[in-house]
Amino acid sequence: MNYNFDWDAVAKAFPSMLGGLGTTLELTVITIAISMVLAVPLAVARMARIEVIRWAAQGYIEVFRCTPMLVQLFWIFYAMPALTGVTLPGFTSAAIALTANLTAFMAEAYRSGFQAVPVEQVEAGRMLQLSRFEQLRYIIVPQALRQQLPVILSLNISLFKDTALVSTIAVSDLMFVSNTNAAASYRSLEIFTAAAVIYFVIAFPASLVTSAIERRMQNTAAPSPKKNRSVLAGMVPGSRPAVSA
Amino acid sequence: MAEPALTAASGPTELPSSGNGQALVAARGLEKSFHGRLILKGVDFDMQAGDITVIIGKSGSGKSTLLRALAGLTDPDDGQIAFDGKIVFAEKKRTREWNTVRSEVGMVFQSYTLWPHMNVLENLTLAPKKKLGLKPAEARDRAEAALAEVGMAQHILSRPTQLSGGERQRVAIARALMMKPKLLLCDEITSALDPPVAAEVLDVLRRLKEEEGIAVALVTHDMAFASKAADRVVFFHNGEIAVNTTPENAFENCDNPDLKKFVDAVRF
Repeated sequence: MNYNFDWDAVAKAFPSMLGGLGTTLELTVITIAISMVLAVPLAVARMARIEVIRWAAQGYIEVFRCTPMLVQLFWIFYAMPALTGVTLPGFTSAAIALTANLTAFMAEAYRSGFQAVPVEQVEAGRMLQLSRFEQLRYIIVPQALRQQLPVILSLNISLFKDTALVSTIAVSDLMFVSNTNAAASYRSLEIFTAAAVIYFVIAFPASLVTSAIERRMQNTAAPSPKKNRSVLAGMVPGSRPAVSA
Repeated sequence: MAEPALTAASGPTELPSSGNGQALVAARGLEKSFHGRLILKGVDFDMQAGDITVIIGKSGSGKSTLLRALAGLTDPDDGQIAFDGKIVFAEKKRTREWNTVRSEVGMVFQSYTLWPHMNVLENLTLAPKKKLGLKPAEARDRAEAALAEVGMAQHILSRPTQLSGGERQRVAIARALMMKPKLLLCDEITSALDPPVAAEVLDVLRRLKEEEGIAVALVTHDMAFASKAADRVVFFHNGEIAVNTTPENAFENCDNPDLKKFVDAVRF
């Protein structure tokens, strides 16, 4: 290989790439926050006794699970204005598409968690006169979240990486800014390597932190005999507790 | 025993009598089927306040379905249920009276139903705080008293995962007591416990009857407990109550061949 690296291109592009990272993080946080809330009623609707509600929820989930996210993004940005006559800004379109997609996946994770809660525990709540909402709020959701925490956190990390797709509709996220700088400097290798490192630097600690949170929550439910284990040890990949399905 | 006629015409406030006075629970003609199989075949059932009624019978004979119908967890296909003189189920649905008496019916399940993400205190105080409007200090006082009744006061801050099976069932009984029930329904609560531990749990029920006057309907295969502590023994056979009598009659002077066969099989 006879390639002369020019890391000055990265140094020059770095401030604008950090600006792009800000957009990426903003989009990620907004999407996760809204999706985690919207997924609860969607998951409940998915288990509803009334068939029309259940089918509608399942239909929504399947549409977003069975089509590529890029198609969903393009549909909302390019196709929907033709239908509604309203053109949304790129960032708003991206937020809507990512939220709609993540909500579908998150709802399935919630539903799986809800159904893993033994029915007798819910009936015990009924016998104590807790309302359906109170059963959800105090019995089902806390256990479902704990049960599904690894899946939920994994979905969130994937979402952070998938935000790179929004560069295709000219949202100036980290990927879009990187691409622009690479084209301008003819230094694709250095710029995209730097972009990959930035994504990794954010996602990997998030993955480690999720392992630690998962371990702590598992310990709350079932105290481990190894009480003096360090926080760092709990973060080490491979030290995660087994998660029952 | 005289059988009271519970009809819609008797009105929700008329107290059905069952011969020896006010019946706490009176059910008439309960029917329930699952997947085309009739589990309850026109069951009539009475319980007096403060009595312990032990319900025995083979699996699938309808014991648990009756308890769930009385608890409001399963609606019968037909029949009527009165609780404390108020008709709570009639014409295939719960009546408005059910909402006024449902807090007086508690239930403990076979599986340990303590909520694992809460400690014992939180398990006990959630419903009283939310449904009875108790302040945290009041709820804690009530929880301490309930736990003391079942001999679990020292475990108030323990998590369910730190308790043995018998301890969890005693805490589950304490949780049901928090709502001050008149009737406690217990569905095979000792079936997963070793005999000595099961005896401890059943002893708690006996004390609740003697000290608090709480009526207990208990599905169990513990014949020793049934003969010593029960006021009535109800034997279910093929979805019907085949025998409803005193423990002496059930175990010593029994002339029902199915009950004799069942008791012999359980004893040995």
